[in-house]
Amino acid sequence: MTSFLQQAFNGLVSGSFYALLALGLAVIFGMLRVVNFAHGAIYTLGAFGAVWLADSAGLGFWWALLLVPVALAIAGTLAERLLIHRLLALDPLYNFLLTFGIALVCQDLLRMRYGSHSQPYEHAPVTGSFDLGLFEFPRYQVFTLGLSVVVCLAVWLLLTRTRIGTIVRAAIERPELTRAFGIDTGRWVTPVFGFGVGLAALAGVLAAPMRAVNSGMGADLIITVFAVVVIGGLGSVFGSVVAGFTIGMLAALGNLYFPVLSQTSVYLLMAVVLLIRPAGLFGKEEHV
Amino acid sequence: MLDITGVSASYGEARVLDEVTLQVGDGEVVTLVGRNGAGKTTLLRCVMGLHRAMTGRVVFAGRDLTAVPPHRRARLGIGYVPDDRGIYAGLSVEENLTLPPATLASAWPLPRIYDTFPVLATRRRLPGGKLSGGEHQMLALARVLRTGARVLLCDEPTEGLAPIIVDRIGEILREVKRDGVAVLLVEQNLRFAATVADRHYLLAQGRIVESLRNAEVRQREGELLAYLGL
Amino acid sequence: MGIAAAAVGALLAGCGGGPGAGGGKVSNAKIVLGVLTDLSGLYADITGPNAVAAVEMAVEDFKRKYGDKAITDNIEVIKADHQNKPEVASTQARQMYDRQQVDALFDVPTSSAALAVATIAQQSKRLYFNTAAATTELAGKSCNKYTYEWAYDAYMLANGTAANVTRQGGKNWYLVYPDYAFGQDMQAKFATAVEAAGGKVVAKDPTPFPSDDFATFLLKAPGLTPKPDVLGALQAGGDLANLVKQYDQFKLRDKGINLAIGLLFDSDIKAIGAAKLAGTTFTTAWFWNLDDEARAWADRFKKRTGQRPTFDHAADYSAATHYLEAVQKAGTDKAEDVSKQLDGMTFSDFFARNATVRPNDHRVVHDAYLVKVKAPAAASEPEDFTELVEKIPADQAFDQPSPACRMG
Repeated sequence: MTSFLQQAFNGLVSGSFYALLALGLAVIFGMLRVVNFAHGAIYTLGAFGAVWLADSAGLGFWWALLLVPVALAIAGTLAERLLIHRLLALDPLYNFLLTFGIALVCQDLLRMRYGSHSQPYEHAPVTGSFDLGLFEFPRYQVFTLGLSVVVCLAVWLLLTRTRIGTIVRAAIERPELTRAFGIDTGRWVTPVFGFGVGLAALAGVLAAPMRAVNSGMGADLIITVFAVVVIGGLGSVFGSVVAGFTIGMLAALGNLYFPVLSQTSVYLLMAVVLLIRPAGLFGKEEHV
Repeated sequence: MLDITGVSASYGEARVLDEVTLQVGDGEVVTLVGRNGAGKTTLLRCVMGLHRAMTGRVVFAGRDLTAVPPHRRARLGIGYVPDDRGIYAGLSVEENLTLPPATLASAWPLPRIYDTFPVLATRRRLPGGKLSGGEHQMLALARVLRTGARVLLCDEPTEGLAPIIVDRIGEILREVKRDGVAVLLVEQNLRFAATVADRHYLLAQGRIVESLRNAEVRQREGELLAYLGL
Repeated sequence: MGIAAAAVGALLAGCGGGPGAGGGKVSNAKIVLGVLTDLSGLYADITGPNAVAAVEMAVEDFKRKYGDKAITDNIEVIKADHQNKPEVASTQARQMYDRQQVDALFDVPTSSAALAVATIAQQSKRLYFNTAAATTELAGKSCNKYTYEWAYDAYMLANGTAANVTRQGGKNWYLVYPDYAFGQDMQAKFATAVEAAGGKVVAKDPTPFPSDDFATFLLKAPGLTPKPDVLGALQAGGDLANLVKQYDQFKLRDKGINLAIGLLFDSDIKAIGAAKLAGTTFTTAWFWNLDDEARAWADRFKKRTGQRPTFDHAADYSAATHYLEAVQKAGTDKAEDVSKQLDGMTFSDFFARNATVRPNDHRVVHDAYLVKVKAPAAASEPEDFTELVEKIPADQAFDQPSPACRMG
């Protein structure tokens, strides 16, 4: 039983990465109707940002946690303004290709600079273990989970308790109609994109001390995150977070008890969810 | 108040509005009558700026709206009640009500809204998705009134509603009219239209084919209903 | 150039001169060496563009040695990217043999891709020198007379490491392996080697590939009965870096579970941090700081590429050199005739010591090395990561020829 709980808890830790990434994808999709294929590359850039800050400026993890998401969020808003925005009026396929291209460019630039092998990152901010009563767990993993939960809660409060949150939720639910109510949704598109980018970068920084930092790290992860977003319901912010943590937990337990399915369990779950609820667990049918 | 001159619009290849010209004055209620697909909804969307007019222009309170984006039109005082009511299922009743900024001098304060629509006061914390059809329509109307809009674009506000609620909507529209607000009403319910409207335009295949007075509508009701296929 | 020339001299000393005749005997009037490798993915640093450089160095040295006595001076090196996908590897190999007139292919990381290329080599009746893929199947049930295994295999990696660690007291093993051809092969070889050395495999688990979360298995390890002494990690590249980082965070070493690694390259040590790995033993086919002869070639290589060579790069050079020598001796580039020169050959070069090309399965057996990761303080330069623990003689380093291999 203890081992089961321990594994479930561990699943929540990997789920915290899914949740942060899926949350960003969901708000971006909701606001722009763009599936951001560059999301995995941003996660990778986040981790490399931490490596770069440590190597070139001697700045440790806490600085990285603060600076990297902000810097990448700014870069994201610029990319949105200069590139993505111009294609929003066209078929979504154009932005699908654009963001996919951005992902490949980022990945190849990193590969040119750092090669394809992993980079060292020796700046874990906390070491040792916590005694969680029933079992011990590495402090850093507990910290990751805690921070992710706090960020997800903060986003939830922002969305439900503030005027900006109401506007964003309205724009996600009915983008066109919201403009007819005197709200310049276009004004919110860019900051929301930057915000989603910042969340992915944050996940990347959090990954650096516990995962291999290499140019391909986001490409593999993001496929799972797309499945998470679909399971949660495309554009459902709440659904993406819940699905993120749930999938993390199921995957961890699946690895242990059904190793045969470890590669496919997420996609099987996605198929089942889509059969029963085509719009995902918390998704709604699309309006204009 | 609202001057529509020579507006044409199309969806892809199909032309849905053909040189439509009409006026709505202060405190006037004007209905658009026509079969499904005649272009009534598209005309409202063109006025709101949600659909691009290929030719012609819309002038509101002396101002040409051609280059004005939808959110600016709303802020100038055009209130939109779409055919599906446009209620946000994920927002509470009060969030729905307060979403459009109330920037105009004529804006209704929230207490007046709750006074006029007591049902909304009791449901204010409920998500919009949980309301009944009649409550949806009340909320949609209340929402544009709160902004103080000077022109209301109402797309079939009585469709599918119980007679008692239709009556209530009539009362509200008459109250609004007394305040000098102009209303452009898309309506299939001719009897209802005749109780609130001053004039009627008959729209067929994107063109205005006839302009009717209230008395004419009452006289020719049978003929018109047959034409509309009702 | 002094030491370098000496190295080349030493390398070539074992091989006699050519037939004297030059030109006219090779197909299409040229010899084409093809490097089919991972040019941009997971294995691009340990094989990749530098594998191409190694083969080019071999060609240049060959031309320099023979001058106008060379069988032809028209020798080309071409390269292609197989993206670690077997289906891409097959298509590329077929195209290189058929359209680009490649006489011999080199490198080919990823076991499934290498197996695909071996099949194409047999169908095309052209040679293939594997230096990068670890599967023992290439000299086992998938062996053929056109394919040679020049560098290493899963048996060599497992046998050296497992036997040594078990002898040192690591009796109970928990093996975690990536769930694809390489991992499955490694797992089987490790289990056999552990048991042969008197140890026991307590449990073994396949892990998703690729994966960035190994906590499931790290959490499971201490609860196994009997508690394992050794966690045998058979992952490669990024997966391995992930696993070791998390092994460190879960403090398994403090819980009495040591780490043994199946396949470790310098780039992995750099990624994980030499400090975290210091003292970890593993087996390798070669390392650049082995001795003066190895260092001399490694210096030339670094001058050319800016990097220290991996054993794969060294093996590519060695294989390409012996291939060209065999063509020179045979007086033709016809695969069957070149093969006759190679089969049964014994040699020693800066890479392969006390080497024999086994004629019955085309496995090149040579000395292997049990090494350990140096503490960063002991390193002579930033790329100096390993030191020798003991040499594993050629006759013990590799498995006996597999009865499954029928070359026909």
